[in-house]
Amino acid sequence: MSGIEAEGLVKRFGPLTAVDGLSFTVGSGEIFGLLGPNGSGKTTTVRLLSCLIAPSGGTARVAGFDVQSEPLKVREAVGVLTENPGIYDRLSAFENMEFFAEAYGLKDKAERGARIRELFEFFDLWDRRDDKAGTFSKGMRQKLAIAKAIVHRPGVLFLDEPSSGLDPKAAKDIRDLMEDMSRREKRTIILCTHNLEEAERLCSRVMIIRKGQPLATGTVEDLRRKMHGAPALEVTVEATNDALLGKAGKLNGVKSVNLSGEGALIFDLDDPEAGTPDVVAGLVKAGARVKAVNIMRPTLEDTYLELMKEGQA
Amino acid sequence: MRTDKVLLVFKKDWLEVRRNWQILAPILLVPLIFCVLLPSMILLIPDSSSSSSEVGALIRILPDAVRGEMAGFNDNQIIAYLMLTFIFMPFFLLIPAMASSVIASDSFAGEKERKTIEGLLATPLTDAELMVGKMLVAFIPSMLVTLISFVIYSAIVDVLGLPLFGRFVLPTLNWVLVIFLLAPAVAIAGIAITVIVSSRVKGFREAQQLSVLIIVPIMGLVVGQAFGILLLVPEVIIILFVIFVIIDAIILRIGLGMFEREEILSRIR
Ligand SMILES: Nc1ncnc2c1ncn2[C@@H]1O[C@H](COP(=O)(O)OP(=O)(O)OP(=O)(O)O)[C@@H](O)[C@H]1O
Ligand SMILES: [Mg+2]
Repeated sequence: MSGIEAEGLVKRFGPLTAVDGLSFTVGSGEIFGLLGPNGSGKTTTVRLLSCLIAPSGGTARVAGFDVQSEPLKVREAVGVLTENPGIYDRLSAFENMEFFAEAYGLKDKAERGARIRELFEFFDLWDRRDDKAGTFSKGMRQKLAIAKAIVHRPGVLFLDEPSSGLDPKAAKDIRDLMEDMSRREKRTIILCTHNLEEAERLCSRVMIIRKGQPLATGTVEDLRRKMHGAPALEVTVEATNDALLGKAGKLNGVKSVNLSGEGALIFDLDDPEAGTPDVVAGLVKAGARVKAVNIMRPTLEDTYLELMKEGQA
Repeated sequence: MRTDKVLLVFKKDWLEVRRNWQILAPILLVPLIFCVLLPSMILLIPDSSSSSSEVGALIRILPDAVRGEMAGFNDNQIIAYLMLTFIFMPFFLLIPAMASSVIASDSFAGEKERKTIEGLLATPLTDAELMVGKMLVAFIPSMLVTLISFVIYSAIVDVLGLPLFGRFVLPTLNWVLVIFLLAPAVAIAGIAITVIVSSRVKGFREAQQLSVLIIVPIMGLVVGQAFGILLLVPEVIIILFVIFVIIDAIILRIGLGMFEREEILSRIR
């Protein structure tokens, strides 16, 4: 209900098609990653879904409202962290928050104050609340912008590169906050990011787009399997010899085994997770002294780069 | 349109304007010059050099009503009276024109330039609420400045002019009509032009420079007055007012059409 359903979304700017037929659904409480190179249409997609611009084609429902016929309802229900923080430099941090809280419908002054205080304490901004936002550092502005985007506890949240400019601790705080909002409070989050590690850690599903078109959609694990097949198993032993390699090749569930450059055994298994204990036990039985075992999963970055290469071809 | 939301936008913009010396300086200094310097020039520097034949020529083209106001005045008194109560009147239309376009430039084009417009447009405030809130923040302060300038000007003219005229000469009906009818109409024109200009330019400097062109027709009034071609008597003021209202309606309509979320955002970047 409070998720997102997009169907054939298109946005043209003159001759340029920035978003070219995107269809996807995001369930309530999901963190959905929107990935893609610069200029691929992530920000434009967010602008379409948050009713900042109207689509040239296609439809979308956000938080249960149609973006074309009920834009005001959509804007009420969503929070947006835009690419530019959009902070009023001549207003204090608190005045900025007051304005947006009221604009988003927090009518009661005491309630507003309490909510702002809660957010400022979370973001370590409370002591600086009366300073002009113009005097804030980049990261502090980013925190203020995120606080402003969630002040009204939106059911759907769009975050366009939230961790840009944040220090490691603040970036982690925001990640924790996003996880908390999605798991505990069942809020839907769309996350645009170039930080693939972050996307891998947070997103239940991702969509990789290029030139406004979808390249792949699914869980990070799905994409990985699709691009790279099953992960390999790497076992480092104290000493290898041909006899061990021969025995290893005959172990249960092993399709093939090779020696890596560093002298580790690389197994191709039917099912790496289920097969690992048997392989390790078999190696020990064959007299090997096992130093390390590692299921080699390609990172989302590997998958992403692979997809980009394919897309180029 | 929800009044509390309009006021919210107004309050936010007013906070920004109030703290910006680039805006406050012109809208406070110009009126100060007009309402202090102009009357002091006439009333504190003794004697003008015009010959009585020039004065006689000027008086002949004046309407009867105006001649009646000056019954019994000598040449010096007539010159001073005409200066203070007629010639300077259009200067007080420059105040709302300038102030409204300076503030509106910051509120419309400035918000775009500082890249805060996207966050503002993402809020569930309607186009109308944003538009009216922003127009009010240009209109109310400009009108206040105009009104206060007029009060100060009248006070200075009356006090300094008492020895010369032997009576208080301001306010006159003409002034009241100019301040309460023409000035608001001019302020709205200034705002509407600025809204249109702001939707086309990038920065508020450009917007300001272009929309201040509204002072050109008003300068025309200044000249017209000075040469006695177009004296601001009640009939003329009412006609000008009607003309301004029509112009306002037209350019406001154009401006409102241009203030569209889609339009504004697709022009960003
Ligand atoms: N208002 C606009 N007018 C014209 N073209 C635009 C406009 N906004 C975006 N575009 C174009 O649309 C394309 C997609 O832009 P968008 O900002 O959505 O990319 P992005 O994926 O967010 O990129 P980045 O990773 O750099 O933030 C780009 O080619 C951009 O030039
Ligand atoms: Mg972007």
